[in-house]
Amino acid sequence: MTDMTSDTPHVHGTLLQADARTRKRNAAETRFKFYGILAIAVGLLMLAILLFNIVSRGTGAFTQTFVTLDVALLEDKLDKSGNRDIEEMKKVSTFGYAPLLKAAMTDMVEKTGMEGQISAGDMADILSKGAPAQLRDYVLANPDKVGQQVSFNFLASSRVDGYMKGRVSRDSIANDKSISAEQLDFVDKLIAQGILTKKFNLSFITGADASDARPEAAGMGVAMLGSFFMMLVVLVLALPIGVAASIYLEEFAPKNWITDIIEVNISNLAAVPSIVFGILGLAVFINYMHLPTSAPLVGGLVLTLMTLPTIIISTRASLKAVPPSIRDAALGVGASKMQSVFHHVLPLAAPGILTGTIIGLAQALGETAPLLLIGMVGFIASNAPDGIASGLLAPNSAMPAQIYEWAKRADPAFYERAWGGIIILLVFLLAMNTIAVILRRRFERRW
Amino acid sequence: MKDLMAERTVDTQKLKISARNVQVYYGDTHAIKDVNVDIEDKTVTAFIGPSGCGKSTFLRCINRMNDTIDVCRVQGDIMIDGEDIYDKRVDPVQLRAKVGMVFQKPNPFPKSIYDNVAYGPRIHGLARNKADLDDIVERALRRGAIWNEVKDRLDAPGTGLSGGQQQRLCIARAVATEPEVLLMDEPCSALDPIATAQVEELIDELRQNYSVVIVTHSMQQAARVSQKTAFFHLGNLVEYGETGTIFTNPTDPRTESYITGRIG
Repeated sequence: MTDMTSDTPHVHGTLLQADARTRKRNAAETRFKFYGILAIAVGLLMLAILLFNIVSRGTGAFTQTFVTLDVALLEDKLDKSGNRDIEEMKKVSTFGYAPLLKAAMTDMVEKTGMEGQISAGDMADILSKGAPAQLRDYVLANPDKVGQQVSFNFLASSRVDGYMKGRVSRDSIANDKSISAEQLDFVDKLIAQGILTKKFNLSFITGADASDARPEAAGMGVAMLGSFFMMLVVLVLALPIGVAASIYLEEFAPKNWITDIIEVNISNLAAVPSIVFGILGLAVFINYMHLPTSAPLVGGLVLTLMTLPTIIISTRASLKAVPPSIRDAALGVGASKMQSVFHHVLPLAAPGILTGTIIGLAQALGETAPLLLIGMVGFIASNAPDGIASGLLAPNSAMPAQIYEWAKRADPAFYERAWGGIIILLVFLLAMNTIAVILRRRFERRW
Repeated sequence: MKDLMAERTVDTQKLKISARNVQVYYGDTHAIKDVNVDIEDKTVTAFIGPSGCGKSTFLRCINRMNDTIDVCRVQGDIMIDGEDIYDKRVDPVQLRAKVGMVFQKPNPFPKSIYDNVAYGPRIHGLARNKADLDDIVERALRRGAIWNEVKDRLDAPGTGLSGGQQQRLCIARAVATEPEVLLMDEPCSALDPIATAQVEELIDELRQNYSVVIVTHSMQQAARVSQKTAFFHLGNLVEYGETGTIFTNPTDPRTESYITGRIG
């Protein structure tokens, strides 16, 4: 102490002027703030570019070109015997319906006074290849309409749709056998007459996938159901197992090297690439347990394995965040360990657990790689599941797998649908994350 | 010490808790060293001593709250009404219904005032019906000297009360299970002087029905509320006796240093 007092005391300069050291510190702080703002700006820019791309490329998938056409359902073509016997009418295949469409086109051209420079066949070809099937389905559902004139909204073929959306031009179809410049001239006339219009297409959201020849008819609906059933499996399995495991590990398990190892491994599992879970699912659930391939049940099981670590980690974090004084309070009035956990700790941790679960589910919803390995890229063109059992066990696809499937196909019309699918998927993820935030806000309690 | 023991045996008060050769270890740390103490019924006993001297640790041994700490080991005997509470047959849950506890920081459950008090009686099945439970809650809140302040808002959250009210709510919650011993771990350290005065008054009333053991950092508080005082230092029970004697005529020099403010 005596040494210190003998030193000359430090003399501070004027406070009105910053000294060199202070200036340097302030400059460093300013630089750091600038870097931070720069990083955030870059992030936001990337997000904006991403969203702009997705929206500008994907919104097209939600509209589709339709042709309004009056079709005469001729009795001599569709029901030769005239007794409206469904079984007999079913013998007429879609080929039997095609001439009706050609006739309807010719009628329409005559009625509107357009000059028909192209053949009736070429005119009918601007309709989707699914148009005769649509006609047939309608007739079989309403046999009493045979013999009458009925107005239909037919999907236009994907080339015409592309022309409406600017994807197809007269230059780009030079080598395209599916459509000719004359047909496009005809389309222009139909547009002028208001017969060919672009409208919102609900069946993109609700419909099933379609074959390569009919991209205009492909929809997300069945894949959405596949994803829904997978999420059901994940929720039913991962939530109780994950929460129970976390409660045991956090509140009951003794702290020793075994629980340490378990803890480390759970954290590691959360970082395992999802394709590893996929190949595990392939080996165990399909090859060993012989569960059906492409079934949402198997997809759900694989995604459960993937989601469990996420749920366990977030549940443990929210259990840890409950102040120990609450446990003490419960134990102090004579509650058992289990009562203190279930009556007091768990309700307080619930918002965190729910948030973690929803984030885990959202992750699982967007997961593609493991689904490819267990074959959840089924081409499901028609058979939408009609119940929980078939929903779980019948082959299906999932939203991200369906997007992958479309992006893979050659026709640019499918490419557009892939972007549209991404919009649907993102809307789902956004909705789930919003629910997570709302739950956290609503149930968060202060203590 | 011998003299003190002799002095206490002539006391008319009944013995409630008696500890013999109690040792507590946290892992390798020897936190409580060979503590012997006899705590009487219907008496307020204060544990004083500097921070880290083991008084809270010893208090938590009395209702086995230390069981929740993995590394904590307790040796020796602690008898309540002649029964060893560390006996294998004793369920700590049952023990804690008999030995209530109030903590340093008010820790009401984030539930309604009513549910805070009713929780203990509910899990111990003390009420046969709703009216019964209402009675128990009212009685407990009256004993906690908080009934008049909260009787119109029993459905309001307990966490919305002021600090002093929360602590009295916690006391009401502790007495609702009809304990015989009430342990208080620095119950006023988070309270302002007015709330402290209210709680101290309450402690004096609680003495009619319970054996109260209170840990406190405030020597004035110990002098005000307690009849018996125990001074802990570095894990040892240095001196134990009538509060008046400890504060006016301590036998051990360490006690004297502490109460005159030279250590601690």
